[in-house]
Amino acid sequence: MRLNIPDRYLDLLPWLMATLLVAGIVHIVSVLLMPTVAPRDALGRLATYVKSAAPAEGVVLLPPMAPGDETLPFEDPAFAEAVCVYDLGKGPLRVKTSVDGEDFLGLSFHANAGRIYHSMTDRSAIKGKIDIVIGDARQIDAMQSADEGDAPPPSEVRLTAPAKRGFVLIRSLAKRPSDQERARNRLSAISCQRFDLPQG
Amino acid sequence: MDLRPYANYLRAGSAMIAGLAIGLLATVLSLNAGYGFNSLRAGPWAAWPHIGGADIDPYARAVISRSGEAPLGRDQGLAFIARADSDGAALDGECAYRIVDPMPAARFWTIALASPDGRLVANPTERYGYSSVDVLRKENGAFEIDVAREARPGNWLSPGQAQGFVVMLRLYDTPLDIESNPDPNSFPKIVKLGCA
Repeated sequence: MRLNIPDRYLDLLPWLMATLLVAGIVHIVSVLLMPTVAPRDALGRLATYVKSAAPAEGVVLLPPMAPGDETLPFEDPAFAEAVCVYDLGKGPLRVKTSVDGEDFLGLSFHANAGRIYHSMTDRSAIKGKIDIVIGDARQIDAMQSADEGDAPPPSEVRLTAPAKRGFVLIRSLAKRPSDQERARNRLSAISCQRFDLPQG
Repeated sequence: MDLRPYANYLRAGSAMIAGLAIGLLATVLSLNAGYGFNSLRAGPWAAWPHIGGADIDPYARAVISRSGEAPLGRDQGLAFIARADSDGAALDGECAYRIVDPMPAARFWTIALASPDGRLVANPTERYGYSSVDVLRKENGAFEIDVAREARPGNWLSPGQAQGFVVMLRLYDTPLDIESNPDPNSFPKIVKLGCA
């Protein structure tokens, strides 16, 4: 049996396949590049806000959410939120607070380009305390080798961040709208500070 | 002018341009379709638990870096979004809806309205959602939340003048299994009451 296709169309077949190949490559590359080229990703938005609000480091409270004035999209309006934007190039970071076991407090650790490498709630606090150290692989190694002595085992949780830049987003639930003030106070009690690696 | 000697160059050029256009179109379409793979669905509700963990897929990373959102961490809870009512019709600001029991197990939950691109919905009451603590319940613990433009007694959320909106259901510290679709009967229903 012979297919009755004019040669003209058969000649175009390789070009059609080339078109699809190019389309596939463009699609994959553009999807993979999106996190690096998107200018208004969460880190970009938060870094802009932190710079405009307070040039200091540490925990910066986000303004109460209002229509047209949301720092990030798709956030829960029942929450008060704070952020700690970091750059591990300057040193490792310690996030510390105590929890009362009653009110929901969520911490998520975001690397740049949209990846959460750790998240927790106040439920996983140890003895009512949250004490987390973030560092890059080299800084965590340095801390671990500094431990090898007769010092007591570290009391903090150590996280290796996959990228130097990122942010810690802290969400504090206001169970009722009238609890917003209390929820914001809980956020102010959190410390997020850079520290120097132990020498040795 | 005789273009025949250059025919192959022309074809290669148009293959490149057409490929570029098709590839970018495929990217735009796929990024508008949700947060990549592995969604959980229960009735009108959909969640993407993997966007809250380190194993997020490239499509979801592209979507959230474009929209600028910071998803809920997987160990914190699950955020479900409903763009349609329980009958599958898109949510419409002209219509009134009732969100009714049941609710999956969670330490806290919240139900809130949002615009399709994740902003708060401006409305005269300045209330944007209810939590498991401040929702008014009946004697047996059941609840109903009415979504309508006109004031309702009880739990009332107003979509204001918005045409389209979505309902967000967030479960905090939930034991829900994220490896398989949950039972839709354990999730709230969104019942359309009528349209203006």
